[in-house]
Amino acid sequence: MRRRSLLAGAVAATPVLATGCSGGGDSPDGSGGRTVLRYGMWDPLQVPGMRKIAKAFEAEHPEISVKIEVTPFDAYWTTLKTAMRGGSAPDVFWMNAVNIQLYASNGVLRPLDEFIERDGFDMGVHPGELVGMYSYGGERYAMPKDFDTIGLWYNKELFDRAGVPYPDDTWTWDTLRDAAAELTDPSRGVHGITGEMWRQYTYYNTIPQAGGYVIRDGRSGFDDPRTIEGLRLWTDMIDRGWSPSQSAMTDTRGRQLYLSERTAMNYDLSAMASQMYASPAIRDHGGVAVLPRGRERATTIHGLANAISGKSPRAGAAWEFVKFMGSRRAAEIQAREGVTISSYAGTQDIWVKSMPEFELRHFIDMLDYAVPYPASKYTAAWENLQTQLLGRPWTGKGGIEEAARTLARQMNLALEQEK
Amino acid sequence: MAVFPSTAAAQAAGRTGRRTRKATGRGPGRTQRSAYLFIAPIALGFLVFYLWPLLQTFYFSFTSFGVFGGNTWVGGENYQRVVQDVTVGRALLNTLVYMAMGLVTLPVAIVLADLMNRPGLRGVSVYRALYFLPFITLPTAVGLVWNWLYNGDFGMVNEALSVIGVDGRYWVSDPSTAVYAIGTVMVWSQVGYYLIIFIAGIKAIPRDYYEAAQLDGAGPVRRFFRITLPLLSPSIFFASVICVINSLQQFDLIYVMMSPVNPALGSTQSIVTLFYKWAFEENSQGGAAALAFLLMLLIAGLTYLQFRFQKRWVHYA
Amino acid sequence: MPEPTPRAGRPARAGRVDPGTLATHAVLSLGALVMLFPFVWQLLTAFKTMPESVRVPPTFLPQNWDTAAFSEVFTALPFAEMLGNSALNTLGRTLGQLVFCSLAAYAFARMQFRGKNVLFAVFLSVLMVPAQLLILPQHEIIQRLGLLNSVPALFLPGMFSAFGTFLLRQFFMALPKELEEAARIDGAGPLRIFWSIMLPLVRPALAALAVITAMWSWNDLLWPLVVNTDPTTMPISAGLASLEGQFVTNYPVLMAGSLVASLPMLILYVLLQRHFVQGIALSGSKG
Repeated sequence: MRRRSLLAGAVAATPVLATGCSGGGDSPDGSGGRTVLRYGMWDPLQVPGMRKIAKAFEAEHPEISVKIEVTPFDAYWTTLKTAMRGGSAPDVFWMNAVNIQLYASNGVLRPLDEFIERDGFDMGVHPGELVGMYSYGGERYAMPKDFDTIGLWYNKELFDRAGVPYPDDTWTWDTLRDAAAELTDPSRGVHGITGEMWRQYTYYNTIPQAGGYVIRDGRSGFDDPRTIEGLRLWTDMIDRGWSPSQSAMTDTRGRQLYLSERTAMNYDLSAMASQMYASPAIRDHGGVAVLPRGRERATTIHGLANAISGKSPRAGAAWEFVKFMGSRRAAEIQAREGVTISSYAGTQDIWVKSMPEFELRHFIDMLDYAVPYPASKYTAAWENLQTQLLGRPWTGKGGIEEAARTLARQMNLALEQEK
Repeated sequence: MAVFPSTAAAQAAGRTGRRTRKATGRGPGRTQRSAYLFIAPIALGFLVFYLWPLLQTFYFSFTSFGVFGGNTWVGGENYQRVVQDVTVGRALLNTLVYMAMGLVTLPVAIVLADLMNRPGLRGVSVYRALYFLPFITLPTAVGLVWNWLYNGDFGMVNEALSVIGVDGRYWVSDPSTAVYAIGTVMVWSQVGYYLIIFIAGIKAIPRDYYEAAQLDGAGPVRRFFRITLPLLSPSIFFASVICVINSLQQFDLIYVMMSPVNPALGSTQSIVTLFYKWAFEENSQGGAAALAFLLMLLIAGLTYLQFRFQKRWVHYA
Repeated sequence: MPEPTPRAGRPARAGRVDPGTLATHAVLSLGALVMLFPFVWQLLTAFKTMPESVRVPPTFLPQNWDTAAFSEVFTALPFAEMLGNSALNTLGRTLGQLVFCSLAAYAFARMQFRGKNVLFAVFLSVLMVPAQLLILPQHEIIQRLGLLNSVPALFLPGMFSAFGTFLLRQFFMALPKELEEAARIDGAGPLRIFWSIMLPLVRPALAALAVITAMWSWNDLLWPLVVNTDPTTMPISAGLASLEGQFVTNYPVLMAGSLVASLPMLILYVLLQRHFVQGIALSGSKG
């Protein structure tokens, strides 16, 4: 029901600030001789987990204490930006793919390479795509903490009723299209699939599956014929009535339609598992499969990471905390909370086993061919262009190719501004 | 601009001012000093929050903004972007649609005002209060309420249409209807404002004009076109100036009614919502500053044209 | 305001309703219904449960006047605090304008000083500049003052108004000169003349300005969105927008929130209707 963007808990969800106090003011270096680290994050759902991790860290490092500061996602980035300008940013804070290059290129993050090399920390315990996502100009700038991939959520009951076999790893785009057609049942108000105009869930996956790309070497890929194929898969299914149009999905989002069993298939985040699990019907006959393959296999991976402020005078202590957050111990604490999937290799089982009715391992299996969430320095600028320009084709009005080419032109114009 | 007193007039006024002062024979020093003191607080406020920012925005429009501080001079690049960007063109077009719909409100309000001025009509104050209600209501709230009425699956608008056998739509999330759907809400919330201006305007028309016309045997329609409309023209002129200025600055309703996944986002965006996006979401403050100047030019230009052509149709009694 | 007197030759006959009047009532009531219905539906939806609000066919009256949506609004966001912020914002801007504008307006209308006309032209030009043009630097200034995410940030620039100055100046100009001169002969200073003689005479204009300013302040969205991103310092207008972000299509909650957010201004309107109407009419005829 809630509007969410990048990560499950990403967009400011539920109740108010758990730990009060946002940016502003400087923290005294020692309260009773201890170094106080300020840790900035946005998701209130993750506060309990983060607090447990901070406790464990403080037990190992009695000389450091961690103060958690929660700012709702809507305000997080503007607040952080302002705090950076005024020199009052937290020492350690959450970072995402959309913003990392902007921050790294402006020199407001502390590069981690010197610490990583000094301590011989093995970054290989985190997925390479995530480590790469948080590198800029050959330097690593943040420690991955969790990740998300996209999977095919389906409704077994609707499949049974239509006599369609459940999706598995043999599925291709053709199988997907055929199934969507057969599962669509206008008399019951059921659609085969929900192809939302929401990059991370849908076309950021099918574009690489078609062999296209969103951005490469600072140029837009939206005028690439294969990229357009990745878009057309969705607009086609909308035109044929197998998916509701985006107009309908603005009033009732795809995930809602899936939860209320009015769509048989929905591409959605791994992090939605706990929300799906909370619905008795979906828990009973919902399922997860790997994404059907096009020319290639692909799913979008995104994850959050912990970064150190370039202006923090406590970088040493901050690194100790970031290192701990990147360790198996912290990953396991986080995994037990069930909110997110830890990025540390081998800690995902806890999460997979916590909801045995869904075959969540498929989300982990897809790591082999996961594609990082595309980003540049001013990612938000061209992401906004997508929603402005793809609207018509996504509402059954055709013209996807032309819209994609306009988008490419505009996106290149925006990318030009980054230089 | 046309509304400013001309310099010549200002000088003339200044001269008389000085003469008066001499005539009172009191030390001009004291009055002058207290006059400056009276003006000082607001002048300071204007200087800090209006005049200095105006100059700054002008400077910003030639720079690229450092996200974390520091601007670099980029010359006319921002203006170039404003001219080239397809989204600016679309925002401009949408803004003009809002303006056109805003102007349609005026005739509606005039007719309503005329009806309410019908002699002996009871309950006028109740009508007036009801029509004015939307105008004072929080626009954020108005947007939410209308989104609910427009909802494609459960909205009352579609419900009402189904009664007369018309198929519903997703009014605010269909790129071909959304701009009009939002425009309609603007009309709905502003009609009361213009109504009040026109009621006041009609009341100011001397009664004997109507009586004379009646003696000449003019019917109500003729009286409306021959007396009410021409004598109301100063109010209509004022309302149309305000209407153009307001419609060009539409933001609140669009911001509230359009969610980020709405496929009609591009076809409803106004200059000001685009400005907000550039300035506060996309780190493109320089471009936003240039866009703001475009908006000011547009407002100034259209206001100038209205003043220029008012002679042709506005009758000052 | 008095009802218009019947025009000659057409006295309202008792007992019989004139068909023209009937038609007028029909048109006006239909319009009034269109104006009123959204409010009615907002109210009714706010008291429904989520499932009831999306029932097909819809129910008109709520089945059992459920108030859960209201409590949800207050737990999801610091809504009470936001209402307080809005009140302070409104109070700050209104008081500021009344004081600063009336002082300046009086000086412009009744006092002679060098540079008066140039200054007045500058004031008028401020009136002409669209607010968006100033927001970026205004935001920077507020940031430099260390006031981002604070209540004063909400009302600071809005305390100074060219429109208010202009409006009040028109009223001060219309006052007779003798009053001031008599007071001056009695030895009253300029501030005293302003405060105890002239200001009370423009009370209707002050009331109109206060009401209009209060309305704009309560309803303002763009500026608060820019300066106060923290929910605890947001006014209700911005808070309501973020409520929408959380409860995308949970309409009972959204309607409850919008009802609570717009109610204070509606109450003020009911109490001070005459001033609202006058304020608008004034800005209409004297702009």
